[in-house]
Amino acid sequence: MEQEKIKKINILYLLGYIFVPIIICAICFIIGMLYFPKGTGAVILFMGPTILSALWWIFAGTIIFKTKTKKFEQELDKNKFDRTSTFYGKGKTVIIDSKTGKIALIFFWNPSKTYIVPASNIEYAWVDDGRGGVGFMEGSSRVSFLFKVDGITVRVDTFTSNQRFRMDSDYILTGISKADMMVKAIEEAKSKAK
Amino acid sequence: MNILRKMRAPFHDDWCKNCTEPMEIITKQLYMLPMLVGHYTSHTDANYYIENLIKVEKKKNIETGYYACGLYLYRCPRCANKVVKLSIFLPVRDEEKYEETIIFENGELDSFLQKSIYNY
Repeated sequence: MEQEKIKKINILYLLGYIFVPIIICAICFIIGMLYFPKGTGAVILFMGPTILSALWWIFAGTIIFKTKTKKFEQELDKNKFDRTSTFYGKGKTVIIDSKTGKIALIFFWNPSKTYIVPASNIEYAWVDDGRGGVGFMEGSSRVSFLFKVDGITVRVDTFTSNQRFRMDSDYILTGISKADMMVKAIEEAKSKAK
Repeated sequence: MNILRKMRAPFHDDWCKNCTEPMEIITKQLYMLPMLVGHYTSHTDANYYIENLIKVEKKKNIETGYYACGLYLYRCPRCANKVVKLSIFLPVRDEEKYEETIIFENGELDSFLQKSIYNY
C-alpha cells in the first residue's frame, strides 16, 4: 500500500505472464526432441507444459487478481478504511471510502501494487455511455465510468458486450445506473477529502 | 362478451379479478426501495415492503442506483374489492428499468397504507 504514481500495467508481469510459459514449453520441447523423442518422457515433455500453459493463460490471471483483491480488502479493513462502495470491474477494482475521502485501486495487470489515493487527487469523474450509431442503429456495447487521477485516466466498465444494445435496453440502463452511482460516490469522497 | 372479458382480464393488472371490471385508482404513492442496482431480489412477502419502503415525493429524491416502487391502490366500482399493486423499477436518468409487479389482494398492506398515506 504505497502512495506512488499509479501504474495500471506492470510490463514485467505482463510479459512474464505471456512469455514464461512459452519459454518453459520451448525448453521442454528441446529436451524432449533431444533426449526423449518417444515414449512416456516425450508425452510428459510435449503435452504437460502445453496443457499447463493453456491453463495458466486461461485461469491464473483471474486467480491471482482475485486473491490479491481479497487480501487488499482485508488489509483495508485492518487499516479502518470504510469500504462504502466497491466496484469489481473487469481488470480493476475500485474501493471508495466516502467518509474519509479515499479511493483504493488494484489493477489486473499490476496485482502486486495497491494504491490508496486521496479523492482530492481526482481531477474529474464521468460516465461514458458508449452511445453510437444513428436512428434505429443507435445504441451502445459498453458503459463505463472514468476518472482522472494523478494525470492517469482509469476506465472501469460497468457493462460490455460484443453486441450493440438499444440505449433503453435493460443492460444499458443497468450499466448506466451503476456508473452513475460510482461517479456520485467518487464525487462524495472528493467533497469529503477537501 | 363476458367470456371475452374473462379471457382478457389476466392481462390487466388493474381489472377486478371477480367481476372483470376496470378498477379505479384511489391513491398512488412513490417509495424508495433500499436495494442497490445489480442486487435486486424479488420479495412476495408484504412484511418486507412494510418494513423497507421509504416514502418519497418525487423520483428525483431517490438516490442514484436505488430501486423505486410505485404503489397503486385500486378499487373496483362494482364490488368494492380493493387491490394494491406495487410496480418496482430502477430509475435511470429519465428512463425507468422495469423490474416486476407485485399484487396484494387480501389487504396485506392496509395498515401500512393507513400509516404511510393517510397518516393514521
